[in-house]
Formats: sequence, structure tokens, C-alpha cells
Amino acid sequence: MNSRALTTDLLLGAIPIALLIAVWQAINSLGYAPATLLPPPGAVFSRLFSQLYDPTFQFQIATTLFRLFAGFAIAVALGISLGIAAATNPAIDAVVRPVVRVLAPLPKVALYPAFLLLLGFNHESKIMLVAADALFPILLSTYYGASTVEQKLIWSAMAAGTPPRQILFKVVLPAAMPSILTGCRIGLVISCIVVFLAEMITSTNGLGFVLVSAARMFQTVDMFVPLITISLLGLILNGLLQAGRSYLLRGFPEA
Amino acid sequence: MKPTGIRRAAPLLACLGLLVVWQVASLALRNDSFPTALEAIRAVPAILGDKESLINILASLRRMAIGFVLAVGISVPLGLMMGRSRAVAAFFNPLLMVIYPVPKAALMPIIMLWLGVGDVSKTLVIFLGVSLPVIYHSFEGAKAVEEKMIWSGAAMGLSAVQRMFRIILPAALPEILTGCRTGLVLALITMVTSEMIARQSGAGNILFNALDMGQYDTVFAMIIIVGAMGICLDSAFERVRARLVRWSEPNFNVPLSFS
Repeated sequence: MNSRALTTDLLLGAIPIALLIAVWQAINSLGYAPATLLPPPGAVFSRLFSQLYDPTFQFQIATTLFRLFAGFAIAVALGISLGIAAATNPAIDAVVRPVVRVLAPLPKVALYPAFLLLLGFNHESKIMLVAADALFPILLSTYYGASTVEQKLIWSAMAAGTPPRQILFKVVLPAAMPSILTGCRIGLVISCIVVFLAEMITSTNGLGFVLVSAARMFQTVDMFVPLITISLLGLILNGLLQAGRSYLLRGFPEA
Repeated sequence: MKPTGIRRAAPLLACLGLLVVWQVASLALRNDSFPTALEAIRAVPAILGDKESLINILASLRRMAIGFVLAVGISVPLGLMMGRSRAVAAFFNPLLMVIYPVPKAALMPIIMLWLGVGDVSKTLVIFLGVSLPVIYHSFEGAKAVEEKMIWSGAAMGLSAVQRMFRIILPAALPEILTGCRTGLVLALITMVTSEMIARQSGAGNILFNALDMGQYDTVFAMIIIVGAMGICLDSAFERVRARLVRWSEPNFNVPLSFS
């Protein structure tokens, strides 16, 4: 894609977002909605910027990020290792497949009360929920990626005398990498969503709590701030993951 | 390959296995707030027999169905158009990227301010939650359609609309259905969470009210019920999907052999 096409794409893409904000502003200026129900965009964004310098708000972001990363890291580690193990070992496959088939469609939020009762109201239950929700997309795409590795690649590595353990790390894992990273991307977005929800349901800190407490006190401006923050966080994390992806997948065709 | 009988029963065995693990864990932990699997299962008929909670659960399911159908009806055409036209894709992509990481159920408090706590706001939240994965998968599916097929269609005189219905839609169907399957699970999740936040009716409401009142066997029984709904819906959808796209069944049932 040349740079000119890219600029037109960016410009085109900015239109709906600009339109959305314009409509938002118009509804306010024309007086269709009182500012208590829908605060003007200017008020929301200036509040967002002043909040970003506020240590309390920074602490809330840090709390949310900590839970997000801890849960996501557990999900990545478990998902990739279980996925590869199930794809390469028929015995593990026979156990993992049916269990995943049962647990994957289960709405994990419903398990949240159980986590609360077992792990308490602090970090652990939230991290557990994030991990449980992000695990399955990563596990499934790793499994899919690892089981569609071309058998010829493995045979040639075996013919060249590579021991089985090294085949795992030198052939299967790299070949499954694109699929694994797609799974991680879905898992990351899900982690963002879930950590926020968990904090909304029961928490005393974190971005979700900021939203809920603002809603209780009818501070509409403060309700929009955490929502925009989590959207920005999602965009930044997604961008980082994309950068990591293009580094890991250098040399792959059309990565 | 194992005989099909065992493979059919494998998910059931997995369910049983998980329940046994639960039972053993709760017996070992001896925690008051962690009932055994048997106690929780015993509480299920009490909930399903109660008229009010049954009405609640059915209302949840109705909202979910409406939100899901609306979302699929709007997202699939949008995704297909994004996949076939670069301009449309460039137009909508950044907006979708901004919306994607926002938890849809977190919009609940704001939407409640505008539309009230009733069915409309919950259905709207479910609609938002379902539409993004469906749009994304339809987009990917339509993008991957082989150009040659479309060219041949055009050469044989199909109009753009006909090409959309007779070539692109069927070719993208497997991917679209994958998106719908994700969407279905998401619909259930959003349904439960939206009801947790707007405690007024529905399955999520029963679940969290029971938690607040310390009725732990009801909590776990509701978890079983919601989980069973998820599993049943998913396997029903999977059956429909397998029938619709039997021709494109990916062959990843075979474990790799190199050990």
C-alpha cells in the first residue's frame, strides 16, 4: 500500500469519528439533551485530560492494568502450552478437547460469584476471571495453528535428525505463531472488557469502579471518562501487540 | 480414531468429570460459601420450578434472541460490504477499532440514563456486543473470497447485487458462522452482565441477588443453569453450522504425529 492510499484511508476513517463527535456536540448545542444526561464532548475531554494528571486516577488505571496483565499473562502461558500439548499428544488431546468443548461456550462472568466466594474480593478473583475469559480464544487458536502445521515440515525436520523436543520449538511453535498471535489479540480485547466488568460488579478501585461510583453520584461527565480511558488503553495495547506481531512474524509472507 | 460412541459421549464425560472435581474440591476445602456439586444440583429444580424466576430467565432469553437476530441482520451485510470495498472498510474500521475494547455492558449505566432500565436498553447492549465479532468475521470472510470467482461471475453477466448473494455470501459463510458463534456466546455474556448492572429482572439478577443474600447454593445452581444454557446454545448452533457448511469442514481433527 502506498503512502497516498494510506492517507486517504486515514482521512476516510476519521470521518465517522468526527461525525459522531459533531452529532454529540450538536445534540448539546441545539438543546435536545440536558447536559446532565449527555455532557458536551468538550467538557468530557477536558475532564479526561485533567484526570490523567490526577494521582488517584493514575492509581486506578495502574490497578486495572495490573489485573489485566496478570490475567492475560496467565491465559497466554496456559493457553499456548495446553494448545500445543493437545495438538501434539493424542492422549492429552483426548482429555483437553471435551473439557474445552464444555468450558469454552460457558459464560465466564457467571463464574465470577464463585471466584468471589473462593478467592475473595481483592485482585485474585478479578485476575482469575480475566484469565478464564482470555484463555479459550488463545487456547483454541494455538490448537488450530499447531494442528494445521504441514506434516511435511515435521517429517523433513525428523529426516534431518532433529530430536522431537526441538521440533516442537523450531518447527511447530514458529509455524503456529500467526494463529497464536491472532488468538492473543482476541484475548487481549476480551481481557480489557472483562477486567472492566469485574471492577464494575464488585470493586473498590480500578476504572470500572470509577464508572460505577460516578453513576451512583450522577456525575455524567465522570462516567464518560473511564469509558474513553479503557477504549484508549485497548487501542494502545492493540498497537503494541501489532508491533510485537510484525517483529515476531518478520519473514512470514503477508504477515 | 476412537469409535464414534466414545467421541459423542466425550463432552458429557467431561461435564461429569468437572462436577466430580468440584465435589472433591468443595469437600476438601470445607468452606461454608462453597457448596458441593450435589447440593448445587439439588437447588436447580427449586429455581426452575419457581414461576417468577422462570419468567425472569425466559425474559432474559427473549432479550438475547432479539438482540442477536438484529445484530446479525445488520452486521453481516455491513461486514460483507466492508470486505469487498476498500472505501467502506476504511470508513468504518477506525470507528470499530475505537469501540471494540469498550465493554458493551459498561455502557449500561449511561444507556440506562437515556432509555431507562427496561428491555430496550438491555437489548441495545446485547445488540452492540454481538455486532462487532459478526462484522469482523464477515469482513474477513468477504475479503478472502477468491477474486477469480467474482471475475467469472462478472464475466457471465451477474450484477453486483447478484454477485454478492450468489458468490460472496456463500463463500464467506463459514467465516460468518464462526462470527455468529462467537456472537452467540457474547450475547449470553452481555445478557448476564447487563442484568447484573441493572438489577431489575433476568438471570443475572437472580444470580447476584442470591450472592448478596448469602444463598450460596442458589448462586451455584444459577451458575449451572447459565452454563448449561451456554453449552446447549453453542452445540445447537454448531449442529446448524455443520449442516450449512458441510463442504468446508476444516480438517484439524488429526493430532500431529512426531513423537
